[in-house]
Amino acid sequence: MAGVVKAPGAFAITPHKVSVCILVNIYASPSQISVPFPFSSVSQHNRLGLYLLALTKSCDDILEPKLDQLINQLREIGGLLDHWLTDHVTSRLSSLSSPDDLFNFFNELRETLGGPDSGVMEDDQVILDPNSNLGMFLRRCILAFNLLTFEGICHLLTNIGIYCKEAISSCSSYELRRVDDSGNDLESLSEYENMDLNLVFKKINEEMEARKRATEQVSFHLHLPKELSTLVEDIEVFADPKSEHNDKGRESSSYASGELLRDVDPNGGVFLRTNWQIQGYLMEQADAIEKHGSSFTLNAFELTLRQLQKLAPELHRVHFLRYLNNLYHDDYFSALENLHRYFDYSAGTEGFDFVPPAGCNSFGRYEIALLCLGMMHFHFGHPKKALEVLTEAVRVAQQHSNDTCLAYTLAAICSLLSEIGFSTTSGILGSPFSPMISVGTSLSVQQQLFVLLKGSLKRAESLKLKQLVAANHLAMAKFDLTHVQRPLLSFGPKTSMKLRTCPIIVCKELRSGYHLISEFCCEGSTMTADGAFSTAWLKNLQKPLGSLVLSQDNGSRNNSNPFLFFTQPSSIPGSVMQLVGSSYLHRATAWEIYGSAPLARVNALVYATCFADASSSSDAALVHVKLIQHLAVFKGYKEAFAALKTAEEKFLCVSKSRILILKLQLLHERALHRGHLKLAQQVCDELGVLASSVTAVDMELKTEASLRHARTLLAAKQFSQAAAVAHSLFCMCYKFNLQVESATVLLLLAEIHMKSGNAVVGLPYALASLSYCQTFNLDLLRASATLTLAELWLSLGSNHAKTALTLLHGAFPMILGHGGLELCARAYITEAKCYLSDPSFSVSRNPELVLDPLRQAADELQALEHHELMAEAFYLMAIVFDKLGQPEQREEAASSFKNHVMSLDHPHDVEDPIQSDTLLNA
Amino acid sequence: MSSKESCRIELRTAIRQLSDRCLYSASKWAAEQLVGIEQDPAKFTPSNTRFQRGSSSIRRRFRTNEITSTPPTGVAYVSTPVMEEDEAIHGDFYLLAKSYFDCREYRRAAHVLRDQTGKKSVFLRCYALYLAGEKRKEEEMIELEGPLGKSDAVNRELVSLERELATLCKNNTIDPFGLYLYGLVLKEKGNENLARKVLVESVNSYPWNWSAWSELQSLCTTVDILNGLNLSNHWMKEFFLASIYQELRMHNESLSKYENLQGMFTFSNYIQAQIAKARYSLREFEQVEVIFEDLLRNDPYRVEDMDTYSNVLYTKECFSALSYLAHRVIMTDKYRPESCCIIGNYYSLKGQHEKSVVYFRRALKLNKNYLSAWTLMGHEYVEMKNTPAAVDAYRRAVDINPRDYRAWYGLGQAYEMMGMPHYALHYFRKSVFFQPIDSRLWIAMAQCYESEQLHMLEEAIKCYKRAANCNDTEAIALHRLAMLHRELDQPEEAAFYYKKDLERMEAEEREGPNLVEALMFLATHYKTQKKFEEAEVYCTRLLDYTGPERETAKSLLRGMRIAQSGFPSMDVEHFHP
Repeated sequence: MAGVVKAPGAFAITPHKVSVCILVNIYASPSQISVPFPFSSVSQHNRLGLYLLALTKSCDDILEPKLDQLINQLREIGGLLDHWLTDHVTSRLSSLSSPDDLFNFFNELRETLGGPDSGVMEDDQVILDPNSNLGMFLRRCILAFNLLTFEGICHLLTNIGIYCKEAISSCSSYELRRVDDSGNDLESLSEYENMDLNLVFKKINEEMEARKRATEQVSFHLHLPKELSTLVEDIEVFADPKSEHNDKGRESSSYASGELLRDVDPNGGVFLRTNWQIQGYLMEQADAIEKHGSSFTLNAFELTLRQLQKLAPELHRVHFLRYLNNLYHDDYFSALENLHRYFDYSAGTEGFDFVPPAGCNSFGRYEIALLCLGMMHFHFGHPKKALEVLTEAVRVAQQHSNDTCLAYTLAAICSLLSEIGFSTTSGILGSPFSPMISVGTSLSVQQQLFVLLKGSLKRAESLKLKQLVAANHLAMAKFDLTHVQRPLLSFGPKTSMKLRTCPIIVCKELRSGYHLISEFCCEGSTMTADGAFSTAWLKNLQKPLGSLVLSQDNGSRNNSNPFLFFTQPSSIPGSVMQLVGSSYLHRATAWEIYGSAPLARVNALVYATCFADASSSSDAALVHVKLIQHLAVFKGYKEAFAALKTAEEKFLCVSKSRILILKLQLLHERALHRGHLKLAQQVCDELGVLASSVTAVDMELKTEASLRHARTLLAAKQFSQAAAVAHSLFCMCYKFNLQVESATVLLLLAEIHMKSGNAVVGLPYALASLSYCQTFNLDLLRASATLTLAELWLSLGSNHAKTALTLLHGAFPMILGHGGLELCARAYITEAKCYLSDPSFSVSRNPELVLDPLRQAADELQALEHHELMAEAFYLMAIVFDKLGQPEQREEAASSFKNHVMSLDHPHDVEDPIQSDTLLNA
Repeated sequence: MSSKESCRIELRTAIRQLSDRCLYSASKWAAEQLVGIEQDPAKFTPSNTRFQRGSSSIRRRFRTNEITSTPPTGVAYVSTPVMEEDEAIHGDFYLLAKSYFDCREYRRAAHVLRDQTGKKSVFLRCYALYLAGEKRKEEEMIELEGPLGKSDAVNRELVSLERELATLCKNNTIDPFGLYLYGLVLKEKGNENLARKVLVESVNSYPWNWSAWSELQSLCTTVDILNGLNLSNHWMKEFFLASIYQELRMHNESLSKYENLQGMFTFSNYIQAQIAKARYSLREFEQVEVIFEDLLRNDPYRVEDMDTYSNVLYTKECFSALSYLAHRVIMTDKYRPESCCIIGNYYSLKGQHEKSVVYFRRALKLNKNYLSAWTLMGHEYVEMKNTPAAVDAYRRAVDINPRDYRAWYGLGQAYEMMGMPHYALHYFRKSVFFQPIDSRLWIAMAQCYESEQLHMLEEAIKCYKRAANCNDTEAIALHRLAMLHRELDQPEEAAFYYKKDLERMEAEEREGPNLVEALMFLATHYKTQKKFEEAEVYCTRLLDYTGPERETAKSLLRGMRIAQSGFPSMDVEHFHP
């Protein structure tokens, strides 16, 4: 409001601050008794003091409460006094009717403050120390008032008028609401009682009284502030467990933006916040957008931003927020436009680390613009363009020796290279990289990526960018997981290097992410902004109910409270939590690849329970996908689909694609098992469509789609076609260095050849797959490759049954320990077949050796509804029973066999609710 | 179209009515047009003609297409404006209110008219209130300006005015002036569609209010909106169309409209200035200069549109003329944005960019949305190597008018200067999108693609081709095209463009290294193609120049003679790698 002071973060005097001043005046009225007039006890007095401390601190926060909100808070704090307090505040405010009244009011305030020489004092006189928090606040207010021009005072006066009028007009509605919500209020009251706040208050009071008694001669007001403020901070941490992390996103995104909207409403009074406050608000919103992605409402926030821009055209950060908003709503053109606009205006020098422009000659930080632009292109799936822009960013950052930006840019390039399949970077990654890639340009993409990763990590470490270091470690782990480390030089003395990936390195890389969190824990206290704390506390006062509801609707949130990290809720920034969380996701993936199902599940569960609040919605969806996939493999489709349903509800509009893909995957597998080949092909085609979406081609999904296509063809017994598809897929994998996928494809090829009766042709494929698995430590896949190998041997003739059996028994521990239902069943059936085809084995002597695995297999396959394998199992059983001479059981097995064969041939009699609605949705 | 005399009568009445309602700028405009109508030679008096002297000769010199007939506007649907006047009893109050208004005591004027119900009184009261609100708004804007820029100062009268005018409009007791004010209020409130509708109604029933037309113009930002307007025929509509065509960058259409109008309003300074501006956009600087000189002779104290004149003088580097102009405007009115802009231009021409920026800043203080000042200030910052400031200035220009291709171009240039060619491309793309016929923009974009960081020669060639197609006066494009094709090892294309370039240089009688280079390439190219006759022609031409090329040409000639004289040179060439 001040027309004179224009420094950023100027302390402007607002009607709210005037009412806080009135309260302070009540609290420290210059009287002679230790407990001034309206207060009946010291504790009551102190309680108001605590409240005022929180209020003054929160004055630097984004939102200033309206008068009616203030009155509500007073009601809860003031206890018996509330009427007197609110009456006093409102009457005092409404008595300010001319500029002269304001002058007198601030003069009175000055009397409340003690002089600078007030060291010696009578102990029962209440005088505010000018250096205490409250004193400072008063002094700032008085100073801000004195700096006002006469016009400024006039505006303050009109604003106070509006402030009071609004409270009066909303008062009646408030009363109404109170009546309506009496039940809720009761609950909230009890909640409030339960919050241990009172307990703490009591404790403080006792403590203070004890201290007072101990140090009789010092007036506690002089002594108090420091102690009190630390204590207050303790309370805040204590009383704050939910608000900060639970309702921040959902709540504050809707609540705060609505609030601000109301505040900046041009007709509703002119309560423009200071620069810091709005910057803080924008930061918070930026976090929220990034976390919630497209569930964040586009238009409502856009409206807020537009109003903000109208009010503060010099606040360019608004454009950045617009960019973010558009980015997460996939509006390419607006995002591009706003990004350019933001950097044109601010040259990247706006924000919290903003230094006032001392002469405009300093070069802007346009390399950040390039970095953002590159990330944007990446997000929208233009990898080539992104790479071009990032290359330019590297060059400009080097030119202006902005090492931090350079490190981030390199990390961005790394993630770009690793996530998107480039077959070659020549012509794109050109000259600017030569300082980093001194080896030359003859390197493959993977080698370049490796060098870049190393360089980026080193840079980040030397610059002490902790988060970046952690992120780089994660990227490194990801790289190690799927790539063989080869010597970079193709000449010179070769060290004997095993061509294997190393799980230990992966683990090490993943572990090193934890240093990050411990470091943040140590310095957490310095990073807190107490303004936000106090408001959170004040908000919490009124909103225990809201957080309760939120924690009820999501069971996992309750679990998160006892977790270690949450004892200090806001000392760890959300981004750090996200990083650490994603290290768990990486672990889960790593174990998935290495083939340890329980460990993968445990890690996914840890993520889902502990990091659900900090995670971005896409990560959360991913974890759900992983868990559901696990369910499908180990528990069958029924449970998986039930879980999918809840997941679908949870991620209703958010990142639908991931859940959708999962659904298609599950449907495809089930259709294959049940023998619904038409449906399987249909689902598979849909998956293929998703893979080649408008935003860049997702290599992973594309591979998967064609893998499934080959599987479907195989199930339809179109062997040559299936082989052709698998072959071209293998070529693609080879081209884009997707080595893990290559192993799977090779295995599939082996299976195709086996089923087509060409076991001899299949053998080399199976062996190649085995060697891939060995190289990449893909233990589970290796076990299943071994199983296929055994089947191949078996189909070569009964004289190879022994070999097959040995192979199988070697793989059994892995298969039974970590394999899914289908794999186990297949292993059992193969085992039985081995025994049966072994000429030296006699059924009648040892029937259980065959029957037991067959029964097991049948049981496990039941959940999967895998008709083909079940039919096979029952067929074998029938044969065994026949040989044993047990016709009854034989008939039973034969009829089950018949049932399964029948349902394989007539797949359409089974009702299927989920399938139909998916196809409609998709 | 009505005759000159009827036009004159219409305007005379309109001026009286407009100034009676204190719509001064509209009445000023109408009066200018009134005097601009060519006098009947029969009624010539010396005092009449003084105003119109001297201009006709120049005009004839530049009139390319002589207008023979009056513009085919059709029949105007309203003739002389007749408005019913308020009763005489309230006339006294009206007079008092108008005097207050003229002394800029708006609220007082409104108060005097508080109980009057005549249409004229109601209009003046509302208008006075509106202006009072505007004045207060401006003041508050400065008072409330916080650290983050302007505050949300609004015209506090708008709400009540809108309510009152809406009721009047609903009861159909509103005159065209009231409609104009209603449109103004609606526009300010952001209700653009309704504002357009109301303004169209206003100008259809009373076409002589130029202010209403201007407001309407500011609401028509695209051709589609313009075509959607339901405007009745009147000669005022021609003025409107000419003006809006210019705003929509349809310069040729605008020019032809103005030239038509000039048939009737032969001596209108306004039309003359507008023609000058349109020709300026078409880059016909010579003619613009003559027109402005003429204009200043007739109207020496004119400040409007003189910034365009100063731009012309700037591009022609007329130091003294520019300083003379600057001196003249500053004596006339120092605190006009145009004046400051002219002085800024002068300092810029003198190379004193800091001072120039000071004056552009002043111009912008006077009018924050002064588009060309932002762009020009951006140019100054570029000169001062203060690229961030330049970028900021250009960006503001672009945000005021996103179709300003000069500012987009400036942005691109600034980023290119900072070594961010890829980033700059975005801006060049924008700029060529809005002005695809300007070869300079295409060349700038091509150079960006060509830069060593990007080295995207294919794209550069595409841009140069576009540039060559749109009248590249400096003939950079052809030469660069030839060079690029040569670099890309496409000799056929290179030869094609070298030849074209050569033809062009011959036509313009230019000499220089480019010519030699072209000849050199063509000679060797045709030699390798075994087209010895052509090669010989070029070689002989090369012999006219001194330097190493001459020797090379000689040896080429010698080689060709040997080849032609029957030696099996083919074999020799085969052995060469």
